[in-house]
Amino acid sequence: MTTQSRRRFTQVVLGLVTLLLASTLVFLYLKAARDQTASYTQSRDLIRQLQQLNAQWDSEVLKARIAITHNYDPLVTPLTEMTRIWAELNSRDTYHNPTDLSSWQATQAAYQTAMQEKARLVDQFKSHNAVLRNSLAFLPTAEDDIQAQFNRLDDEGRLQLQGVATDTYDLLLSSLEFAQVTSDDRAADILVGLGKLATNKEQLPSEFQGPVELLSNHISLILREQPVVNNLLERIADVPVAERLDDLTTHLDQDQQAADRIDHQYHRYLLIFSTLLVAMLLYLAVRLLRSFAEINRVNRQLQAANETLEQRVERRTQQLKDAQSELLDSARQAGMAEIATNVLHNVGNVLNSVNISADLVTRKLRSSKALGLGKAMQLINEHKADLGTFLTEDEKGKLLPGYLNQLVDAIAVEQQGMTDELAQLSKSVDHIKDIVSTQQSYAGAATLLEPVHISDLMEDALRMNAGALSRHHVTVVKEYAPVPEILADKHRLLLIMVNLISNAKYAMSNLNDRPRQMTLKVQALADNTLQISVKDDGEGIPAENMTRIFTHGFTTRKEGHGFGLHSCALAAVEMSGQLSAHSDGPGLGAIFTLTIPMTPAGSPA
Amino acid sequence: MSEVSRYRFGVMLVLWSGLVQPLSAAPLNEALKPLPPVPTLDPAKVELGRRLFNEPRLSVNNTLSCASCHHLETGGADNKPFSMGFDGKPVAINTPSVFNASLNFKQFWNGRVDTLQAQIEQVVISPAEMGSDWNTVVQNLSALPDYQAAFKQTYADGVTAANVQNALATYEQTLLTPNSRFDQYLLGNTEILTTQEKYGYQRFKDYGCIACHQGINIGGNMFQKFGVMGDYFKARGNPVEADLGRYLVTQDEEDRHVFKVPSLRNVAVTAPYFHDASAKTLEEAVDVMFKYQLGRNPNQEDKDLIVQFLKTLTGEWAGKPL
Repeated sequence: MTTQSRRRFTQVVLGLVTLLLASTLVFLYLKAARDQTASYTQSRDLIRQLQQLNAQWDSEVLKARIAITHNYDPLVTPLTEMTRIWAELNSRDTYHNPTDLSSWQATQAAYQTAMQEKARLVDQFKSHNAVLRNSLAFLPTAEDDIQAQFNRLDDEGRLQLQGVATDTYDLLLSSLEFAQVTSDDRAADILVGLGKLATNKEQLPSEFQGPVELLSNHISLILREQPVVNNLLERIADVPVAERLDDLTTHLDQDQQAADRIDHQYHRYLLIFSTLLVAMLLYLAVRLLRSFAEINRVNRQLQAANETLEQRVERRTQQLKDAQSELLDSARQAGMAEIATNVLHNVGNVLNSVNISADLVTRKLRSSKALGLGKAMQLINEHKADLGTFLTEDEKGKLLPGYLNQLVDAIAVEQQGMTDELAQLSKSVDHIKDIVSTQQSYAGAATLLEPVHISDLMEDALRMNAGALSRHHVTVVKEYAPVPEILADKHRLLLIMVNLISNAKYAMSNLNDRPRQMTLKVQALADNTLQISVKDDGEGIPAENMTRIFTHGFTTRKEGHGFGLHSCALAAVEMSGQLSAHSDGPGLGAIFTLTIPMTPAGSPA
Repeated sequence: MSEVSRYRFGVMLVLWSGLVQPLSAAPLNEALKPLPPVPTLDPAKVELGRRLFNEPRLSVNNTLSCASCHHLETGGADNKPFSMGFDGKPVAINTPSVFNASLNFKQFWNGRVDTLQAQIEQVVISPAEMGSDWNTVVQNLSALPDYQAAFKQTYADGVTAANVQNALATYEQTLLTPNSRFDQYLLGNTEILTTQEKYGYQRFKDYGCIACHQGINIGGNMFQKFGVMGDYFKARGNPVEADLGRYLVTQDEEDRHVFKVPSLRNVAVTAPYFHDASAKTLEEAVDVMFKYQLGRNPNQEDKDLIVQFLKTLTGEWAGKPL
């Protein structure tokens, strides 16, 4: 809970720091990026164009003044251009410092006023200059016209008017001079000259009147217009358009410098911020490197631990292997012990028979009629002297020969029974020998195949259990199908059959309500196998035990060791056969079935 | 191909083109300048301007359009001394030609405005001319879906006074009269003028007409006092307010009787002459100019030559000579 809340807290703080850094960056970027340099450069460029046009305008005015050009369009186009550029300049967001806006606007207004004034003066200049230039250009022609009139006079008249002609010529010259150097003196000269011309005109013939009048008109015009034009030129020169443009430039420069300062400031902030970020980055890098080192270290440790673990696992595996082999050994030993137990068990079974036979013989011997022979001999010995008499006369003696005859017969029967019993005994001993040799064959894991008659083998097995069967009053039903002599491991088969019969007998030991009946069945199956089954009507096998009955150590009997079925199953497997059990349930009996391959004797095994 | 043969080929090409194309000779460097080419403008605006130019709804009673007084087939003005206003009364001053008006340095006889837009703006609201007001004009035009659509297509903000003026001014910038014989002469085709006309041009320059009538519009680039060499108005008599000229604009004594020097382009087809329409013919006008402006006394032959020269200034409109 605390870890979670702390983590959330860390996340929030991290988010806030990121947001703060990002917004600072954006803020500084916006502040620094509000770069007016481009706008400034463009504005400066436009103002420079204005200055250039203004200078061009001035030069065109001067050209018109000295009559280099008669075309007045160049005096109009700069103004048009300047008006256009001014509009463009105004349409731009030129100014950025609002505190100084009024001063900027004042400078702009001053420029516009100056421009209007200059435009007005230039317009006036155009008008006056055009007229003045025209009259000045006309002067020589006017003079020529008068001279032509003079030339038309005869010599006398010409002589008479020589003075007038000279005066006119002087007037012309002073007018032209006046056009170059306008001064009050020359103006006065011209006025005097005009006065003279007016006086002279009276003396002149009528044909002179027109040309002289024209000349004097034009000279008057020059006298009037030249100072006007000069004055206009001075005033045009005085109009501070260039100065206002310089003011604008200065203003823009200052503005730009201020902006630059702010820009620099923000650049510095940005630099500081960047340094901070770099420092953080370095810190983080160091942290990261450390983390990497830590991770590497832990990795190495992990790897080492891994290796140790592997070694340990290996060791453990080895140990396990050892344990397993030990276990195997012990299992083998246990197996051997089991086999030994098995053998002993079987030997025990057979010894039972031996015991019975020995018991029987002992009992027979104890109750032997041979004792009667001893008594008879005692009677004879008592009557040694009179043996004949005794045999013929004595009551007892007379019975003696008969008795002895009977005794001979009885002893003969007895002997016969004991011989049989001893034969049985030796057979059992043989079986024990076989069991032992079977154990030896186990030890050698060898299987001895020999021709076996199954029915004989079954009889042997039954005989081995004969005592117990008779004691338990078990009826044996035999259902032997005719089966050829086969090659099989006789001892294993016998072992299995003895066990199964013994088990069946035990299974029925608690059965009192009905006859105890065991059914042995031998039959050959189609697929070259032989099936031998032992069926009882005993207590049956509960379903839950069904799977365990063949395992080692399983038993339902108090005195059992649980080897029997286990070793039987093993033996069946070793004979390439199979031992299976079936029961319909507790109290419903059981049937054990052995299936082995049927190899008829005589065929190559 | 060798260098020499290529060179020879080039020379032959130059000779050949020189023979068949006398027009391609270098333009003459004169105080009079040839008419500039018609500027390339937004065709939609030009077309809209053309419609508006012929649109009587610009006047208060839907009687007058620009074209009512500015006849494009006959010199860009009418032949009346004073055109009729919306109320049928004559206006106070002679109608100047709309042709080449964009080349004038200012508009109106007294040059009271600098731009065609301002000129249009004033004519529409002038009580003697169209007598309307711009709100009404904009309303009337907006009421017509045709105009609404056309303006919407051409201008972002649709029908406004400024857009109407802009469209008209744009159209008027296309109203140039190119290809006058004198322009062709200036462009280097010196063969196009007769000797008489060339003499006339020479007289035009010699007598000083060129002092005021020069530049691309042969006038229209300066103000000049009417009556430099004599009192024209005293001689004419019957002074009216319009005679005051630029004085009405500036109230400056300097500007009394000062007018914009009119363009001489198409002068032969724009009679009567002067702001007061006092000269019925070109000859009369030339006489007045000599007397009151130039203060000269030329012989009849020179005046005839000048008139002949002036007639070479007539250009073409819509491919036809005016």
